[in-house]
Amino acid sequence: MTHEQASELLAAFALHALDRDETRAVSAHMRSCAECQLELALLQEVTGQLGSAVRQVSPPPGLREAVLAGIQKRQNVIQLQRGWAVSLAAAAALLLLVLAALGVSLSRQLTALSARLTAQEQVLALLAAPTARSVSLTGSVTAAVRFVYDPDRGRGALVVSDLRDPGREFVYQLWLIAGTQPESAGVFRPAPGQPIVLPLAADFSRYQAVAISVERAPSGAPQPTTTPVLLGKL
Amino acid sequence: MRTGASLAVVERPFRPRAVEWEMERGATQADHEATLLAQIARRDATAFETLYDRYSRAVYSLALRLLGNPQAAQEVAQEIFLHIWRGAGEFIPTRGSARSWVLSLAHHRTVDALRRQRVRAVEPLAEGDLGAGGGADVVDQALRGIEGATVRSALMTLSPEQREAIVLAYYGGYTQQEIANRLRIPLGTVKTRIRDGMQRLRVQLVHGEEERR
Repeated sequence: MTHEQASELLAAFALHALDRDETRAVSAHMRSCAECQLELALLQEVTGQLGSAVRQVSPPPGLREAVLAGIQKRQNVIQLQRGWAVSLAAAAALLLLVLAALGVSLSRQLTALSARLTAQEQVLALLAAPTARSVSLTGSVTAAVRFVYDPDRGRGALVVSDLRDPGREFVYQLWLIAGTQPESAGVFRPAPGQPIVLPLAADFSRYQAVAISVERAPSGAPQPTTTPVLLGKL
Repeated sequence: MRTGASLAVVERPFRPRAVEWEMERGATQADHEATLLAQIARRDATAFETLYDRYSRAVYSLALRLLGNPQAAQEVAQEIFLHIWRGAGEFIPTRGSARSWVLSLAHHRTVDALRRQRVRAVEPLAEGDLGAGGGADVVDQALRGIEGATVRSALMTLSPEQREAIVLAYYGGYTQQEIANRLRIPLGTVKTRIRDGMQRLRVQLVHGEEERR
């Protein structure tokens, strides 16, 4: 799609009034066109106001609990088949494993239909990206823990294939470190005998390292309370 | 297990001093420039709760307006917030406000749900059924539901044809093609009305646009 064609369709794009093919074509053009991005931002300020102008109604109280329960489920890690190695030759097979594992582990969730597709796309894109990088985390414990990320797309995943159980009262907490400031990227427990994958999105240019510390179950700490057991430089 | 070279493996020896936690200093610098959505992108559940409390009313109200059914609105609102949880990393602050990002995502998901609903209901898109009302009923109903005075008066500055096209698109969830079918006018005419109408609304509603350009 040319810039002229896309720019003609931007208003309808902002209103979500294009069909699927047109939407896809405009989105594709948008990724590389700063002018259209600015234009769309302005149009979305308009549609945002259209959306805010409707009669305001309080949502039913059950919605809050349902939404928060939904993200708790989403935080649970995705389990993978054991024995994977990242190499160009194995990448295709790995993708299939990831897709199968995602399919199995998430398909039970009622709300996960579109979520599953997005998660699959994210992992797929992450592993397929030519700019993807992989860092091995090392430290005071024996472990096979690797952080795979694509700095260009701001996507990453912690892959834990061997890490001892921290004990019932503790969890592992993943930190992204900007300068000297650790920022929490979620908690997890290793699954016995099975690798786990913890996907996340972040602007990796802000961070110099990833680290894992042992923190109190179930939700970890706002700031680390122990020294990191594993660390990898980005 | 070693990793192949194809993924540009960066392996460095472990240097414990490369990163210092500096707890004492860290605590006072917490939450410096991070926005809510950036925190959510890093899986911060507390930030997500704050965002939910800030936007649940707006998101639910919009879904209810379009879908007209509390049960369906609740389901879509839930789906929207899960999308926000998962997709917060896609928000780019230099491309508009968080509010318009959230509402745009909410509108998109709701319109998708509305279209699925219509497919299930096999809403007749044949001319016979749609000709009579055209868009007038939907437009009237939508305008009655608009309480924001600024938006209301901005919409009233449009020509009736522009207003009809934009209201059918935004509040009716119709595509340009569906609007053309519904009103029995050429697609090109709908496109022009939507484009010109949106330009006009932009002038009315987006303040400080001149400075931003």
